Amino acid sequence: MNAVRPDVRLEAAPMQPVACTTCEAEVLARKSSWDQSTLQWDATALERCIERRTTPARSERPNRNAFAGCAALRASIREAAVRGELDVQSDDPLRTNPEAIHD
Amino acid sequence: MTSNDQVRRIEVDAGPRRFARGWHCLGLARDLADGKPHQINAFGQKLVVFSGEDGQLNVLDAYCRHMGGDLSQGEVKGNEIACPFHDWRWGGDGRCKQIPYARRVPLRARTAAWPTMVQDGMVFVWNDPEGNPPPADVTIPRIPQVEDDRWTDWIWYETVIEGANCREIVDNVVDMAHFFYIHYSFPTYFKNVFEGTSAYQYMNGDGREDVRPPRPSKSNPAVLGTTSVAAYHGPSFMIDEVTYHYEDLDVDTILINCHYPVDENSFVLQYGIIVEKKDGISDEEADLMATKTGAFIKYGFEQDVAIWKNKARIDNPLLCEEDGPVYQLRRWYQQFYVDAADVSAEMTDRFEFEIDTTRPNEAWRAEVEQNLAARRS
Repeated sequence: MNAVRPDVRLEAAPMQPVACTTCEAEVLARKSSWDQSTLQWDATALERCIERRTTPARSERPNRNAFAGCAALRASIREAAVRGELDVQSDDPLRTNPEAIHD
Repeated sequence: MTSNDQVRRIEVDAGPRRFARGWHCLGLARDLADGKPHQINAFGQKLVVFSGEDGQLNVLDAYCRHMGGDLSQGEVKGNEIACPFHDWRWGGDGRCKQIPYARRVPLRARTAAWPTMVQDGMVFVWNDPEGNPPPADVTIPRIPQVEDDRWTDWIWYETVIEGANCREIVDNVVDMAHFFYIHYSFPTYFKNVFEGTSAYQYMNGDGREDVRPPRPSKSNPAVLGTTSVAAYHGPSFMIDEVTYHYEDLDVDTILINCHYPVDENSFVLQYGIIVEKKDGISDEEADLMATKTGAFIKYGFEQDVAIWKNKARIDNPLLCEEDGPVYQLRRWYQQFYVDAADVSAEMTDRFEFEIDTTRPNEAWRAEVEQNLAARRS
């Protein structure tokens, strides 16, 4: 079997580094839209992640003890996208609630 | 005709020349440990599975090292499998224990014994092209619900898929859109996580009004939605925990979706179901539910098979942004096809991919509406 090819979608828009604002773990991220995200961790980032270390594994179900994802990192990636540091491929504007009270 | 330089070419790499390293489920112990030899065609070979008087399940190469007789056509005698050709007796450790008509067993009378494991009612065999034993940390998660009286017994199906490589079924774990088009689901949330030897799929779905019974009843209730956490543990064994949401209750099920390769172009697909007998659900209702779920899944796989049999192998799939991480899944899957020493960090490092379901859901809602309108007219 040959080496696996890179994702065709990365040709036009590659992964970009993003650091978690909580633990400073650095991952590679990509967003094709506000609600899509691709995340590549490495061993160093995984060791840094606080949620990963502190999420208790207590389920009796075989698949439910896996770490589904870090909320702090998710928020950091979103913030990076809002600040324009992480590209969002789609042109759609960030959906906001127009009724929300702004300070 | 479009000129050649405008056409995207389908590219096909050479398929793997080996079979995946890992634990493969061969079926249920209740079926395989019945004191009879069972023939299993797997990993390009013929194997024999048998259990002797000691109850131990063994997997050996089926061909007798004497004159090539097929042990799977033989008979279990004591703790050994006897060849139908000359009655040579082979133990579960692969050694010839006895030749009834000979004074002694010749030197090197040893055949391949495959590492086996019986867990939660299922029989697993370890395949490693390098011939190494299973590492202690490469395991299949326990499913404590199997032993629990509040859950039904396994309902188990087996089907042979000819004309397709088993990579096709593994690809499904990232393929959100096919769940709508092939399996009558309506995914509203879809995320994959790959890490180490596991590949997870988190999927929530709405019930589809266009495939629901027109008049739901107590015996045929409408599924409002599903919550599912599925994961491959190793190259071939998937556990899927699915909760079906009905109007007045939730029903928890655990599905197994597993396979073993027969050769490069065929595989045996097996799937099993257990259902939780919640308060207010009788044993009969739970069994019926398991049977019905099984029938629905069987139908789903038949739809998959029709696609696989006719499709092309494709190593350069053209993806849109609403597709899942096919390339990264295959990168993860590659770890099972290279020598253990060649497994690289990029194959096993944690990777997450969450699909934005907004646009797919708009399109699918419209399609469901059209189907309902067609049904009414």
